[in-house]
Amino acid sequence: MQLEFTCNGRPVRMQADGSMRALDLLRDLLGLTGTKEGCGRGECGACTILVDGSPVNACLLYAAKLQGRAVLTVEGLAKGEVLHPLQEAFLEEGAVQCGYCTPGLLLSSKALLDRVPHPTDPEIEQALSGNLCRCTGYAKILKAVQRAADRAGRGDGTSRRGREAGR
Amino acid sequence: MSAQPVNTGELAVVGARVRKVDGRELVTGQARFAADLRFPGLLYASARRAGVPAGKLVEVDPSPALRLPGVVAVLLARDIPGPNLIGILPPFDQPLLAAGEVRYEGESLALAVGVSREEARRGAAAVRARIEPWEPILTVEQALDPAARRIHPGGNVTYSKKLVKGDVAQGFAGAQVVVENTYQTSFQEHAYLEPEAVVAVPGGDGRITVYASCQSPFHLRGHIAANLGLPASRVRVVQAYTGGSFGGKDDVATEIGALAAIAAVRLGVPVMIAHEREESIIGSNLRHAARIRYRTGALRDGTLVAGEAEILLDGGAYASESPFVTMKAMIHAAGPYRVPNVRVESTTVYTNKTYCGAFRGFGVPQVTFASESQMDELAAALGLDPLELRRRNALRPGEGTATGQVFTQSVGIGRTIERVAEKAGPRPMGPKPAEGPPAGAQPATDGGRYLYGRGVACLLQGISNGAEGIDVVGASVQMAQDGSALVGVGLTDMGQGSRTVFAQVAAEALGVDITRITVRQVDTDAVHDSGPTVASRSTTVGGTAVLKAAREVAGSLRSMAGLMLKCPPEAVRLAEGFAMLEADPQARIPLAEVATAAYWSGFPLMHLAFSRAPDARFDHETHQGDIYIAYNFGTHLMDVRVDRWTGKVKVLRHLAAHDVGRVVNPLGLEGQVEGGSLIGFALAHLERIDTEGGHIRNANFADYAVPSILDRLPTETLVVEEPSPAGPFGAKGVGEPPVAGAAAAFANAVADATGLRFTRLPITRADIAAALAKEV
Repeated sequence: MQLEFTCNGRPVRMQADGSMRALDLLRDLLGLTGTKEGCGRGECGACTILVDGSPVNACLLYAAKLQGRAVLTVEGLAKGEVLHPLQEAFLEEGAVQCGYCTPGLLLSSKALLDRVPHPTDPEIEQALSGNLCRCTGYAKILKAVQRAADRAGRGDGTSRRGREAGR
Repeated sequence: MSAQPVNTGELAVVGARVRKVDGRELVTGQARFAADLRFPGLLYASARRAGVPAGKLVEVDPSPALRLPGVVAVLLARDIPGPNLIGILPPFDQPLLAAGEVRYEGESLALAVGVSREEARRGAAAVRARIEPWEPILTVEQALDPAARRIHPGGNVTYSKKLVKGDVAQGFAGAQVVVENTYQTSFQEHAYLEPEAVVAVPGGDGRITVYASCQSPFHLRGHIAANLGLPASRVRVVQAYTGGSFGGKDDVATEIGALAAIAAVRLGVPVMIAHEREESIIGSNLRHAARIRYRTGALRDGTLVAGEAEILLDGGAYASESPFVTMKAMIHAAGPYRVPNVRVESTTVYTNKTYCGAFRGFGVPQVTFASESQMDELAAALGLDPLELRRRNALRPGEGTATGQVFTQSVGIGRTIERVAEKAGPRPMGPKPAEGPPAGAQPATDGGRYLYGRGVACLLQGISNGAEGIDVVGASVQMAQDGSALVGVGLTDMGQGSRTVFAQVAAEALGVDITRITVRQVDTDAVHDSGPTVASRSTTVGGTAVLKAAREVAGSLRSMAGLMLKCPPEAVRLAEGFAMLEADPQARIPLAEVATAAYWSGFPLMHLAFSRAPDARFDHETHQGDIYIAYNFGTHLMDVRVDRWTGKVKVLRHLAAHDVGRVVNPLGLEGQVEGGSLIGFALAHLERIDTEGGHIRNANFADYAVPSILDRLPTETLVVEEPSPAGPFGAKGVGEPPVAGAAAAFANAVADATGLRFTRLPITRADIAAALAKEV
């Protein structure tokens, strides 16, 4: 089928089998291998992407469902050389060990902060409960999300919403 | 071990809280893991698994698979040029593709190669196998029955050893109190987020490159070359970014690495094998399930006089690391205590189940759970505070371990107990079953729904290969003319942060910023064989090799700078990216200028150095002698609240004190302690591979309960630094030790809260609720 959607801010127009998994389309056809496969059953969250701002397990999503949507993968988080505040915070807090779960966690965190700029711990737990990490024990992930939220809250002259619109 | 003082002077980079040096590529999605690699003409392969736990393999017929579109080839055991065997300790016992016999359900029988992952899988499923099933041997008792069918020609005992120190009969004769119990632990899955993956790429030069998610690339190279029937020089293994391993990506990586390589050579194109989660759980090693009978004798004042343990490990279908796990469990069975009389028998047996091997802790979490439960049972029998009992028996410098090994320094167990005691604070609130609320506690307002308890556990974990063999690391340091340096070590970073540690050590010795150091990918063509990345040895043994190599390069730079500054080399200090006069730091030359001058003057700017741990020397009958180059010592404390109605346990407090010799990177250290503790907590409370009739019933993350963020622990990492002469700047490894501490402390906390001693891990919610219901 003819598929049209935006991916990391760029328009994509392509022929693809609509019944393939969105995960395979991203990884195999678009070369966006930052999105990982951990279980193939929606149980680990490693393949989390944002579709119209909402976190989705790309392993459970038909490619056809991307039609007309805006997709964000981990490759679209940084702005050129400048890392997204969540990426910075994950590094600063030591929330990354092997890094395999990290893309999914970053995107689930971004979806949360876009919706709730200053989340409580239970809100963070709720938002990230579908993303498994075997290395860190999670405490540093929680701190990283808090740190990114604090940073966004301090502001740098523009609102976070404004900065994102400008991406 | 010599008593030389450890240099722990002012340091710039070692000890600093630094980011992961390879973090940026991980947060941007640019890091390429094995399954992310793409090559022209890439094919995919998938194994046909046996699906039955035991039987005679009569016939494997690939023809139905070969008739499918998209299936390119099917490999059988007879297509393997080499011995069709892998393993850790010779004689190897595990086939790549089964021939004649099936020993566990995950046994690979044939490898289907297809143009896509999906077509390879369909091909594998279509391979027809005729297996005459045998009654599987599923328990340790069945395996040890003299009449039992032999799973391997040598019988069903994989490995058996004993440790004898002093005379336990005499020890128990003098004991005033004796406690005894039998403890069990269950199979645990590594559950690294990245399933195993490899890509084999044939070169035009008769060589083959295998990119692998793996832990020990040189181990892979040896097995791949042997099974290809080629010399090792024809095989190159490159470690791709590896998404966790925890001991789990050794055997299985050699298995799929060799299979992919054989298919790639045969077909002349690149071949990828990437496991699905179910395959990853069923078809790669687990943590051994254990049954440990333990008896401890003490005097009335708590002084330990004798310890006796019989350890039985279920090792599943193949030996893997079982011989070494058998030994390590045994060596650690007496805990970090002064016990004059010890006898331990340790045995692993074969069963028709998924094989067991290395998993973070390597037998130590199982025996620590047993021995620390014993300590609490003993404390109760003596009416002593559990921490006080441990304090009275904690090893001190100059005293012998269970193997009689004496360390004169870096024996920090006593200090970890004190750190925990200082930080512990009042006991958690609420009534205990047998008594009223503790003094000063708020009256419980929960209607008696909650029970509160506190558990402590002490542990030790040997650093280095020890009794497992020679321990050598080769490390290279190469400085470029711009003053940056490239470090190469044959030890892998699987997420634990060893690249960052190596970068810190090199930066420290060269006097440069850490951003000027690159630690290269492990490539068997480019780094020295450094043995397996195991046994918490990277920082200690690997870091020492990096330090030596970096110091040689620093020597060249100082010699050159001496000529430039007209002073002897000893008067030159390297710091802040400059060579400067020790006596007058304002007299300084940028290191890039010194390096450039050194290059043109012929001073060597690259050096390869070796660190060799002193060989273990011990009696092979009694295991008395010097085994490890150092021990990490630890004390954990957990406060819990148990929901009497549901069995749910909330961890209110978790203190984890470890003697790490010297902190290299506090951020990385906390990460190891927090992450390792959660795996230990999961072993103790959440996770259990369920088998039924030789089949794993929960080979997915819906049914196998990997902790989520909701299960995280409130871990506080407490650091004790008793520097060790074995490691760089005194540092000792910390990768494995927290697992044992958290697991044992959890069990003791639940026992304290409920008044019931649970002797089997995991102690699940259901177990607790059922046991409490019975009490009422």
